[in-house]
Amino acid sequence: MSQDPKNKPVDSTTPSEPPPPSPPAKAAAPPAKKETEAPAFEKGLVSQIISRFGDDKIKVAYIRPLRMKVNVDPLDMVEVATFIRDNLGFDHAESVTGTDYPKDNQIEVIYQLGSYSKDDIAAHILSLTTRTSRDDARLPTLINVYKSAEYHERETFEMLGVYFEGHPRNERFLLPEDWADLPPLRKEFRIRGR
Amino acid sequence: MATYPQRFRFGNFVGSIIWLILWIVIIVSLVGLPLIFIILFYLPLPPVNGEVLTPYLFLSMMVDPTRTLPILHFIIHTDLFKVAVFPGFSFAALLAAVTIFVERKFLAKMQLRIGPLYCGKIEGILQLLADGLKLIAKEIIIPSGADKPIFWAAPIAFVATAAAVVALIPVAPGWVAADVNVGIIAVFAILGFFPLIALLFSWASNSKYPFIGGLRALHQMIAFEIPFFLSALSVVILSGSLNLTDIAKAQHPYWYIFFLPISAFVFFISSLAELERIPFDLPEAESEIVAGWLTETSGMIFGLIQLGSYVKVYALSALFVVLFLGGWAGPQIFPKELAHGPTAGLMGLLTLQGLYNGVTVNAIFWFTVKTLGIIMLMLLPRGISPRIRIDILLHTGWYKLIVLTFINMFIALALIYGGILGPGGLLTAH
Amino acid sequence: MEKNLEHQIDESEKLGMQIVKESEDDRLMTLSVGPQHPGSGHFRFTIKVDGDYVVHCDPDPGYVHRGEEKMCEYRNFIQNIPHLERPVIHDSANITYSYSLAVEELVGIQVPRRGQFIRAIASELDRQIYTLYWLAIYGIFLGHSTMFMWPTGDRELFIDLMDALSGARVTHAFNIPGGVRNDIPDGFKDKCLRHISYFEKRLKEYEDIFYTNPLFIQRTEGVGILTKEDAIGLGVTGSVLRASGVPYDIRKAEPYDVYNEIDFKVQYMKSGDSLARAYVPLLDMKESCHIMRQLLDKMPESGEVRAKLQPTPKGPPGEAYRRVESGRGALGYYIVSDGSPKPYRVKISVGSFRNMIALPHLLVGSKLADMPSVYWSLNYWPVEADR
Repeated sequence: MSQDPKNKPVDSTTPSEPPPPSPPAKAAAPPAKKETEAPAFEKGLVSQIISRFGDDKIKVAYIRPLRMKVNVDPLDMVEVATFIRDNLGFDHAESVTGTDYPKDNQIEVIYQLGSYSKDDIAAHILSLTTRTSRDDARLPTLINVYKSAEYHERETFEMLGVYFEGHPRNERFLLPEDWADLPPLRKEFRIRGR
Repeated sequence: MATYPQRFRFGNFVGSIIWLILWIVIIVSLVGLPLIFIILFYLPLPPVNGEVLTPYLFLSMMVDPTRTLPILHFIIHTDLFKVAVFPGFSFAALLAAVTIFVERKFLAKMQLRIGPLYCGKIEGILQLLADGLKLIAKEIIIPSGADKPIFWAAPIAFVATAAAVVALIPVAPGWVAADVNVGIIAVFAILGFFPLIALLFSWASNSKYPFIGGLRALHQMIAFEIPFFLSALSVVILSGSLNLTDIAKAQHPYWYIFFLPISAFVFFISSLAELERIPFDLPEAESEIVAGWLTETSGMIFGLIQLGSYVKVYALSALFVVLFLGGWAGPQIFPKELAHGPTAGLMGLLTLQGLYNGVTVNAIFWFTVKTLGIIMLMLLPRGISPRIRIDILLHTGWYKLIVLTFINMFIALALIYGGILGPGGLLTAH
Repeated sequence: MEKNLEHQIDESEKLGMQIVKESEDDRLMTLSVGPQHPGSGHFRFTIKVDGDYVVHCDPDPGYVHRGEEKMCEYRNFIQNIPHLERPVIHDSANITYSYSLAVEELVGIQVPRRGQFIRAIASELDRQIYTLYWLAIYGIFLGHSTMFMWPTGDRELFIDLMDALSGARVTHAFNIPGGVRNDIPDGFKDKCLRHISYFEKRLKEYEDIFYTNPLFIQRTEGVGILTKEDAIGLGVTGSVLRASGVPYDIRKAEPYDVYNEIDFKVQYMKSGDSLARAYVPLLDMKESCHIMRQLLDKMPESGEVRAKLQPTPKGPPGEAYRRVESGRGALGYYIVSDGSPKPYRVKISVGSFRNMIALPHLLVGSKLADMPSVYWSLNYWPVEADR
C-alpha cells in the first residue's frame, strides 16, 4: 500500500512509545504541560475513529501535537466524515485540497477539519484524506456533511480534475471560462518557460 | 497632432500676425461696426441731457464718460439684463461656481486633506476653469440603442428648468426677472418637472443601472415634494400672499423662521432631497448602482447636469432665504447715497453717480450673505453622513415630514387667528 | 372575460402574431455586479433581483487568479516569499508569517526570540494597515466620504512605521523562514508608541462620526444576520465569525511564536448582523494597540533576528499545516515537501475564500440596497481569494 511521505511514523500498536522530539513544533508550542500528553490526547481522538470503523478501513498517517491525519477509502468517506462531525465535534472543513502524486498514479484529496464549538479541540486539525487514481478521479462529495467545503471542492475539481459526485456544480470557478488546457495543479502541466 | 511642427521662421511668424490683424480689421469694420449701428438705431434709447440719443452721440462717450451712465441705467433695467445677468442666470451660475469650489475646499478641510491646490496661484482657485475645459474637450459617448433626441435634450432641459426657478426669486426690492403674482405656485410647478427629466433621461440611456437610478430619483423626488410644498404653505398663510416679493417684504420686523422653525427644518430637509445631496443621493449612489441615472453621461452633458445641479442648489437656498429668513432684510450698512462726490468726467463714472442706490446694494449684499450661509449649511451633511436607504427615505418623506408640516400649519393658523401676525396683528409692522 | 381574452389570443395567433405571456422570469432582472463597478473590487457576482429583493446570487471570482500555488512549486522556500505576499499587498506580514512557520516546521529551524517579537510586531502593524483600508472602503460603500479619507490618512502612520522597519511601504518581504530580514532601526520604539497613542484617540473619533451615526446604524443593524450555527457550519472565519458570537482567534486558540506571553482578550459580539461585523474590526484594532505595546515592552534588548540558514534550505520529506490570524481570518498553509529545496505542494487556505460562501447565504432574501453593507462587511478581499 502506498503511503504519502511521512514525517514521523507512529505505529498505532505501541501507544506507550514517546514520539520523537520535534524542535520545529516547539517554536509554536502550546503550554509545556500539554506537550508530553498531547499525542495521547490526539491518539485518543484517532482511536475513537478506529474503534468505530476498524483498523482495516482507517489508516493513520501521523499523529503529532495538534495535527492528526487519517487516510480512508473513497467509499467510506461520507460515513467517516459524519462520524467525525457528530461524535468528535469537528464542525467545519477549513480547506479542501488535492495533491498530485504521479509516481503512485494517484491524487490525494485532503480535508482539513477544525472545530469552533468545542474548546479542547479548538487548536486541533484533523486531516481526512483519501486517494483516487489519476486516470479516473472520482470522489463522493462531502458538502452534505460539511457545508463549508462547497467552493473548495469546486476549486479542486478545476485545478486537479477530480470529479465530486453529488456536488451541484463541478464547474470553472477561478480559472477563465475558456480554459482548455490540463488542470493546472497536475504535475504534467508546466508553467511556460520553466 | 500627428505632424511634426515646422521649423520656426521669423518671416512666417510676422506674416501670420499680419494675417490675423487683417482678419480682425475686416470683421470689425465690415460686420462689427454696422451691427453696433443697427442695434443702436433700433434700440429705444433714453434722451441724454435733453437730446435724443443717436448712435453718434453714443459713440462720443469716449469724450465724456458720464454720458454712458443713463445708457447703463437703461440697460440694467431691461428684461434681458435681468434674465441673463443680474438676478438671473449669470449671477446664479457665478454663485454656483463659487459653491462648487467652496464645497471642494470645505469638504477637504473636514476630511484631513487640502482639496484643489495646484491650479491657479492661490489655493487652486482656477480648478473649476480647468475642469470645465476638460469636460468640453471630452468625447460624448452615447450608448447604443439610446433614445438620441431625449438624450441630448434632457441635460439642456435640466439646466433650463433650474434657471427658470432662479428667474422667479427676488434678490432685492424690484429686482426679479419674472414678477408673477403666484410666485410660489410657479416655483413648485417648475420644480415638479425635475423627476420627469430624471426618469426620461434614465430611460433614454437604455441600460440597467440608469434605469434603477431613475426609478429611485422618481420615488425620492415625488416623496419629498409634498412636505416641501406644505411647509411653504404655512409661510403663505402667515404672509397672506403668493407673491415672493410680498412674502419677503412681509417679514419686516421678525423673520418667519422664528415663528415656523419646524417648517424651516422640513423645508431644508426636503430641499436636500430634491437636490439629491448626501444623505439623499440615492439616485446617484456610486457604490450600488454605479452612478445611477447619470451613468451614461460624459463630457459636456455631465458638465451641464452638474451646472444645473448647483444652480438648483442656489435656487433652493435663495428660496429658503426668501421664505424664512426675510429675503433681503438686514441693517443698512451701505450709505444711502453717495453724497458730495465729483459728478463729472471719469470720476463720476467710477463712483456710479446716478446708478448707485444704497437700498438696493444693501439688499443684494444681505441676500447674498444669507444665501451663501444656507448653501454652506447644505454642504455640511456631505462630510458627515453616509447614504440613506430607499425604504427609510420613503418612510421619512411620506410619514414623518408630512406630519410635521401639518403640525406647523396649525401653529401658523393659530398665530393668525390669535391675532399675533397677519393683518392687524400685534407683531405686524406697517 | 377570460373567454374573450382567449378568443383574442387565438385570433392573433391565426394572423401570425405571438402573444407573450408574462412569466415569473420576466419579473426578475439580472444584474452583474461586476469587476467594472465601484462597489465590488476585483470580483464579480451575479444577482437576480425581483423588484428590490435579491432572489439569487452567484459569486464568480477568478479575475485576479495568478496561480500562486503552482508558482510555489517552481521556486525554493526562500524565493517563494516575494510572490506569496502579493495576494494581500498591505497585509503581507501575515501571509508570509504563516508560510514561514510552516517551512520552519518542515525544515527544522528555530527562530531566535528577538526575531519572533519583531515578526509579531510587523504582523500587528500590517493587521492595522489592512483593517483601516477595509474600514475606508466600507465607508465609501455606504456613501460616507469622510470615513474614506480619515482611515486612509491615519493608515499612513502605520505604513510609515512599516517603511522604517522594513524599507518598503507595502509588500515588504520582511518575513523569511527563520525570522525577519533585518533588525529594527533606532528610535523605532518611541515613534511606534507615539503613533499608537495618537491612533487610539482617533479611534474614538471614528466611533463618533461613523459608528454612532444614526444613518449608519439604520443601514446596518439587523441586516444580513448570520446566526452562530450557520457561521460554524459554513466555516467562516475571522471577524465575521467573531461577530456571530464565536470567540475564536488563532492567536488565543493556538498561540504561535510569542503570543502565549501576551495578555489580550478576544473581541466578539453576539448579534451577527452587519453592524457587529463592522464593529468587531474596530475592537480588534483597539486590542491590537494593547498587543503592540506589550510586544514593544517585552522584546529582548538585543539578539539575533534571524536563524542561520543554508542558501537553499531543505528538510526531510513531510508535511506541515500552520495557521496565523490575519486581518481577514485564519490563514493556513499546507506544505508538502519531498526532501528537495522546492516544495512539492503548497496550499494556501485564505479567510476570504472561506467567507465567500456566506455571501449567497446572506444576500438571498435581502434588499438590493443592503448589498454593499452585507458584501463588504464579510471582509472579503478579492485578490486574496483568487490567489
